[in-house]
Amino acid sequence: MRFKGGYNILFQGKPAGTVKVMPEPRVLYLPLRSQRFAFSELCITDGQEVNKGDVLAKDPMNYAVPLLAPRAGTVTLKEAENHIKLECVAQDKKHTHVGKAEPPHIVQEMGAAGIKRYKLLQLGAWQFFYDAYNQVVPDPLGTPQAIIISTLSLEPFVTRGDVQLKNRLLNFTRGLEQLQSLLEYQPIYLILPEIKSELAALILERIRGYASVKLLEIPLIYPYDNFAILARKLGLKSNGGPVWGVRTEGVLAADRALTFGKACTVKIISVGGISVNSPVHLKVMAGYPIQSILEKYILSPDARVINGGILTGNIFDSKALGLDVECRGITVIPEPPAREFLGFIRPGWDRSSYSGCFLSSARKNFRERFTAAVRGERRPCISCNFCEEVCPAGIMPYLIHKYLYRDLIEETEEARVDLCIECGLCSFVCPSKIDLRSEFIKLKGLIEKEKEEIRKEKERQEKLRQEEAAQQEAVEDINK
Amino acid sequence: MKILLRLFETIRPTFEGGKLRVLKPVYEAMENFFFAPSTTTTGAPHVRDPLDIKRLMSMVIVALLPCLAVSFYFFGLRLLAMIIISYMAGGIVEVVFAIVRKEEINEGFLVTGMLFPLILPPTLPLWMVGVGVAFGVFAGKELFGGTGRNVFNPAIVGRCFLALAYPAAMSGNCITAGHGFGGRMLQYVTASNIDAVSQATPLVLAKQGTLTDLSHMFLGNISGSIGETSAIAIILGGVFLLFSRVANWRTVVGIVGSAAVAAGIFHYSDPERFAPVLWHLCAGGLLFGAFFMATDPVTSPVTNAGKWAYGVMIGVVTLLIRNFTGYVEGVMFAILLGNIVAPIFDEIVVKFRLMGLRDEK
Repeated sequence: MRFKGGYNILFQGKPAGTVKVMPEPRVLYLPLRSQRFAFSELCITDGQEVNKGDVLAKDPMNYAVPLLAPRAGTVTLKEAENHIKLECVAQDKKHTHVGKAEPPHIVQEMGAAGIKRYKLLQLGAWQFFYDAYNQVVPDPLGTPQAIIISTLSLEPFVTRGDVQLKNRLLNFTRGLEQLQSLLEYQPIYLILPEIKSELAALILERIRGYASVKLLEIPLIYPYDNFAILARKLGLKSNGGPVWGVRTEGVLAADRALTFGKACTVKIISVGGISVNSPVHLKVMAGYPIQSILEKYILSPDARVINGGILTGNIFDSKALGLDVECRGITVIPEPPAREFLGFIRPGWDRSSYSGCFLSSARKNFRERFTAAVRGERRPCISCNFCEEVCPAGIMPYLIHKYLYRDLIEETEEARVDLCIECGLCSFVCPSKIDLRSEFIKLKGLIEKEKEEIRKEKERQEKLRQEEAAQQEAVEDINK
Repeated sequence: MKILLRLFETIRPTFEGGKLRVLKPVYEAMENFFFAPSTTTTGAPHVRDPLDIKRLMSMVIVALLPCLAVSFYFFGLRLLAMIIISYMAGGIVEVVFAIVRKEEINEGFLVTGMLFPLILPPTLPLWMVGVGVAFGVFAGKELFGGTGRNVFNPAIVGRCFLALAYPAAMSGNCITAGHGFGGRMLQYVTASNIDAVSQATPLVLAKQGTLTDLSHMFLGNISGSIGETSAIAIILGGVFLLFSRVANWRTVVGIVGSAAVAAGIFHYSDPERFAPVLWHLCAGGLLFGAFFMATDPVTSPVTNAGKWAYGVMIGVVTLLIRNFTGYVEGVMFAILLGNIVAPIFDEIVVKFRLMGLRDEK
């Protein structure tokens, strides 16, 4: 596969490969919102006692993906806004099962594969599945044209696949077999850093005969592990049906759900970044109080805490109390220190830049202490072409920016802004400090909205026409 | 440093809504010159590359240092006066436009102000330097909307204006470079100075049938525009510019390569009439134009294929003008022509790129 663009930012604070188990807290705060999900349909009442694995809420917009109770406890709904508070109670009490329903008719019709998919959804494994093209939740009952499984997470610093895989290779290969059983003949692509390694050989040996998996090797450059990029490079067309993207945790969750029938509520996340005193991986459950993690790992209190990676993550909401179900890591970076005196004429031994404008380009393999500073003033685009060079999607960010500047929305569509995967590299390298990523996200939303409106308008007109035709007919009938 | 920062803090209200709010761009430029801006990222990506426009532009100044050193050595202190005038006159235009437009002062002008004196004859009257750079910044940049939106390289527009308005002063004999230890380093040489030995530039001499010695042209020991005489200093700074990736290598290789090929074809078809390849490369402003003028990211094409076409066109047109027209030097016109066609090259390349993108997915 030939890749375009991409760039690895060398950044201090990489999480170590060890996994630390966090002590179980007394209270869990389960957020009702995460990046893709909004669990608006509550299945419990205030003060109810629930068991581990019970359905607390559902997302009606996303195939009723459930929010599961990570452990037994008493539910409080009103105490924290947009959170379900789950307080620990004695484990051995008997509680009624909540939210368990009979599988719908269509699932039973689909047979074994249908029931398996229903299990995946009900046991919380489905939230680790992505539609490769637009990162939304795919239809659990749909048939994908392929599954792409990536063991890599190249963005600094999300949870590393190799850490999640450690000591769980058996679960992983079993998960692959389970995924294979969902499919008929569609291929499974497994993305590995090296396909000639021992690990790859081991995986192939274990699954021999039970799953047909095509191994693929990609260069370790951000963001080649992005599902949209991989799907495009594999030649999978979006009109040929959905492509499922699954990361290591998704395969492990599938194994847990289908082999053992257990709910997937515990996960491994990374805690990394400069402001973290010992960057490491943590084994936590969803709803784990953020504050207790920060108290233990953060150096300075005024640092910026990011949900996800440094390039695409969002700043934790000040009201957020617990980790959401989708959290892929916590990155903490410091706010910038005092303003630098004559910064632009310093030799720059200590800063890593995409261009060779700093002395540091004579250094090899050094990681910079990045802060949240913009590091320059906003200026007009000078057409340096850096954004196109790093763009992994092969589009021309500067061109879209220029069209957008002149309000030429149709032209931006022609320039294929929809291929943008929002990796954030163009914003990172831009010397004029133009925030291309958020510009494009807004633009894509606008285009989507306009298309929706056009569709609705067409429907409305179609309806009108039909009504008119019906009236016409009625009049003619009367005339006869 | 802290005292300075505190000073800026205390006078800020005067410029932000206070009595002097008209001069806010000037204040902001000063403050941000000394202290990096304190803005932080608002969303993803949360970190940014350290490179900003100030740094990018100051890299060009750094790359010009060898050129400046050699020029001081050969042409004396007058260069300093020219640089000061150039910065002052151009700066006033830039500041006035920034105030009128209520925008920030752009750093691009720092490069224009330094490049402009280097492409002028060393004895040009100082007022002409001022008029030239003011016209260049005004007509070449501000009329189009400032840095980033200009079509032409402002320094070249200024020089072109002077060449057409005052042809005698611009194309007359230039003083020769100072010889002996110390060069003219401590002299202030004008056109009327007694010890100013004037001589035609190598390109003029070549039209008359004498080829200047290549080694002199390589070191810069010849007459000509201030910055363009020494090939070695230009190459030194230019290579630095290529390594720092401020200038794109495709443009430079396109220009120098195509000029070499064109010169080679001419020379081997009629060695009597046309000068050899290396001579053409070192003569006049070809190297200076290739490394410092044509590589301006704003006025050169954005696309890589466009850069190749642009470079090749400039190289070939330069050689055509030099060898087949009444003008002795063609780099200036070639780059201006290149600036005109750059958007067209881009348009064509972008069209093909978009055609390729249409079938994606």
